[in-house]
Amino acid sequence: MTKMDCEYVVDYLNGTFSEEEIREFENHLKNCADCQQIIELTGELPYLAEPIEPPAEMKTRILAKVFEEDVTEEQQLEPKPAAVPMAKRTPRRNWWTPLIAAVLLLSLLGNAYAFLQLSDQPETETAMREVNLQPSELFEGAAQVKLIREDEALDVVVSAEGLEELQGDEIYQVWLLKEGQPIPAGAFKPNPNGEGAAYFSLEENTEGWDTIAITREPQAGNELPQGDIVLSSEL
Amino acid sequence: MEKSSDFTLYGRIQQKDKEALEQLYDRYEKILFSFLVKMTEDPDLAEEALQEVFIKIWRGKGEYNESKGKFTSWLFTMSRNVAIDLIRKRKKPTVPLEEVGELVNNESTVEEAAEWQEQKEQIETAVQELSGEQQKMIQLFYFKGYTHEKIASICDIPLGTVKSRIRLALKKLKKSLHGVQERGAIDD
Repeated sequence: MTKMDCEYVVDYLNGTFSEEEIREFENHLKNCADCQQIIELTGELPYLAEPIEPPAEMKTRILAKVFEEDVTEEQQLEPKPAAVPMAKRTPRRNWWTPLIAAVLLLSLLGNAYAFLQLSDQPETETAMREVNLQPSELFEGAAQVKLIREDEALDVVVSAEGLEELQGDEIYQVWLLKEGQPIPAGAFKPNPNGEGAAYFSLEENTEGWDTIAITREPQAGNELPQGDIVLSSEL
Repeated sequence: MEKSSDFTLYGRIQQKDKEALEQLYDRYEKILFSFLVKMTEDPDLAEEALQEVFIKIWRGKGEYNESKGKFTSWLFTMSRNVAIDLIRKRKKPTVPLEEVGELVNNESTVEEAAEWQEQKEQIETAVQELSGEQQKMIQLFYFKGYTHEKIASICDIPLGTVKSRIRLALKKLKKSLHGVQERGAIDD
């Protein structure tokens, strides 16, 4: 696109532009009072909505989800030695204290339901795949994973139900495997109804995962699996 | 002032300041939730959208800078697009078409925050100055997130004219709103 004019303001608002088109349009925007006015209007239009009191617990649920990614990172404490070599993984920030991580994990319980509901969404135009995990022998329970490709990132959303209760520090840990090499991809503790959910996002190295598995780990933060696989599937 | 403080908060969020994100959340929770419920007509889906919005902000995706206009314009537009994505993915049938035309709801709650109420009244007045077709354009495009094809067929207009009609409706609305705000300022 070489000629960016007012006509494109609608596409710009719809977020269908590439990075380059956005830049081009924003260049046009600098000098176009008409388009500036329209953009300004979008800061006012939502006030046409009837004010609705947000649900009391929504803030806790949402912020827990937002910060969850960091919690998962913080759990990568000391790598445990194991037979499988470690997959190469982008280092991430570690600024959470383990205490906050534990608190947030608890608050995750409340989120299980929201995510179970999310799993009712049908798959359509976005690059999304749904896979049902198979339980291992002697394990009762079911889990479903959604892999959502969004921009450059791969989001992994796991929702599980019918899970066995955990003891002590145990945790259900999700792993992504590529040719037998695992990386941790979110962890969760189930609620009293045996439901749990985990969310994880990979910003690099998003291709080629061939297996997803959930293990029951003796504690959170293992870089490599120690516990038994309870649910798994090929991707 | 509000603008610079939103911008400051956003800057702190880029530095992974959790408190800043919480402040931003508190500031916009209600308007965003109300807006998203209006769009999705489904509080659960609205919550899902709101969560997605804050995940995006936290991860620094779709970065804001001042060349994108006011922070609220960016925030609301981004939220709208998240909602549109979710609406298109959901199973439930969308609203029957008869209900779609109504953009202005004259019933207002008594205990609304004064600022919101004022802003709402101004924009409602401005909307009423638009033609019926223009109101419909804004409702279908902005709040329903319908595709141009769908808008063309609902309004029975050529597909090629949808974009420019939307743009003209938005432009007219902004102009009317400006007029309403100026009249309000004179009344004060």
